Amino acid sequence: MKGTDLQSEANGDSAPLFGSWAKDYCVALGIFAFEIVLFYAFTVLFS
Amino acid sequence: MNRLDYVVLVATILAIPLYGLWRTRGRETLGHYIKGDESIRWATIGLSVLATQAGPITFLSMPGQAYESGIGFVQNYFGQPFALITVCAVFVPIFQRLKVYTAYEYLGQRFDQKTRLLGAFLFLIQRGLAAGITIYAPAIILSALLGWRLNLTIWLAGGLVVAYTAFGGTKIVSITQRYQILIIFVGMALAFIIAVHRLPAGLSFGRALTVAGGMGKLQAVDFSLDPDRRYTFWSGIFGGFFLALSYFGADQSQVQRYLAGGSLTASRFGLLFNAVVKVPMQFLILLLGAMVFLFYQFEKPPIYFNRPAYDRAIALGHGAELNELQAEFDDVFARKRDLLSSSGVNSASRQEILQLDAKARELRDRAKAVLERAGASPKSKDSDYVFITFVLQHLPHGVVGLLIAVILCATMSATAATLNALGSTSAVDFYRPLIRPNAPDHHYVVATELLTIAWGLVAIGVASYASLVENLIETGNILGSIFYGSILGLFLVAFFLRSVRGSAVFFAALLAQCLVLILFWTLSISYLWYNLIGCAAVLVFSLALQRTIFAKSSPA
Repeated sequence: MKGTDLQSEANGDSAPLFGSWAKDYCVALGIFAFEIVLFYAFTVLFS
Repeated sequence: MNRLDYVVLVATILAIPLYGLWRTRGRETLGHYIKGDESIRWATIGLSVLATQAGPITFLSMPGQAYESGIGFVQNYFGQPFALITVCAVFVPIFQRLKVYTAYEYLGQRFDQKTRLLGAFLFLIQRGLAAGITIYAPAIILSALLGWRLNLTIWLAGGLVVAYTAFGGTKIVSITQRYQILIIFVGMALAFIIAVHRLPAGLSFGRALTVAGGMGKLQAVDFSLDPDRRYTFWSGIFGGFFLALSYFGADQSQVQRYLAGGSLTASRFGLLFNAVVKVPMQFLILLLGAMVFLFYQFEKPPIYFNRPAYDRAIALGHGAELNELQAEFDDVFARKRDLLSSSGVNSASRQEILQLDAKARELRDRAKAVLERAGASPKSKDSDYVFITFVLQHLPHGVVGLLIAVILCATMSATAATLNALGSTSAVDFYRPLIRPNAPDHHYVVATELLTIAWGLVAIGVASYASLVENLIETGNILGSIFYGSILGLFLVAFFLRSVRGSAVFFAALLAQCLVLILFWTLSISYLWYNLIGCAAVLVFSLALQRTIFAKSSPA
């Protein structure tokens, strides 16, 4: 493959929820971080 | 199981494929057969990706895993969100832009035909064998506990899925997976509610969690840096990331799921959905196992859950030995139950309860040793029988049928995705370029259908001989770890090492695969390391080969 641009889009159908895909990824990671906090709280509370 | 259970079971496992067949009726192009059409939305892709990974082992083994070792196993999935986001950002845009049918087609465009065939070949070997294990693992457990004939169970799970997958291609796989995973959610939620409801009166859910936690079953997160600890936050983040990146980025059975429909947005949302949903789902399945553990603190569990294996050992003349262990186990259980009922887990009683629990585990290990001496050793861990024993013995009729349907739905959804990918890869990466390059589109659809059926028969054949394998559940993971590293290495070189060309990466992957196989036969390290070794070896060897032997073919 020539000139692979990792940021480019495939067919122009992109419509990220929060303005850009980078923000969408951050939101997903934020939710995951929140999940970890909940699991940790669960561990502390019940172990 | 009674008649109601069988009605629920048959209706559930037949209704979904029949609906899928109705939705996918009509003649298709190769593109629609392999990638589905634009009607496949992100939610379907998300559920389909989830269903492909959540095979029968997830629902049979995970609760048993928590029963034995607690819910710390959830940490193994902590690397997945990072891997899924990496796939969204790096892999998906390239696959979608090039409109490839298979991930290996991209290797052909980036490198050359032989590298594409190597990637596809490694995938076919690994997945072809693993598909047989996916069918066999639940079949051996269900046939043992329900008294069904093993071959009948294998054909029930395998035959149906081969038929509808071959007929409907990717679209039917996505549609059926959506409903199969919904049935799985409903079944597991019912099992959870009933497990909590069946705990002793007066033991609230909150107090039940305190008791399970006091017995060491609820440590979900462990930040320890001790390398001897099996599951920690750090091993989950790093090891889990690597394994998940291999699986989601380089395994066609997953790639085909998120490329379905052809929309970049739908692919990304489907994967991001998994990034936020997968870990809580695994947590809840493990928590269900912890609830089953708690249930069996008040309701006497068998010393060995795999009853058919236990009965075989008795028939082989080891009854006296096992009865003695059973009597001791019953005594330990009664003392533990009385302590938990009277005082719960507090600072005074905790030590004694933990000692009794350790004693019960030791007795179970001794029973297992007797089974092994008797030659009645089963092909899977006893913990794999914990959840299904709970279902069969303690859930109401109707729900039992639904839970057996859950196991078969999980088998069918994982197998369908695999067969779909095997058929597509064989047709697109081998048949079309090597055997019939310029045939009409419909010819390739028929060829893909026939190749899907052929792979289905291979999977059923492997399942029929899988009893030769020592440890079933481990075998699937080991197979993946041996081959995934080299395949992922091919893709990482393609994305990030622009200077490396086809011949260098091709021979690097061959060398890496040989290295992994040699290490596998000579070392006794954890199989998860082979992912890392295989991938790192491809990266290092390809750079070395490109700068030495293949230096002349380097780009200007």
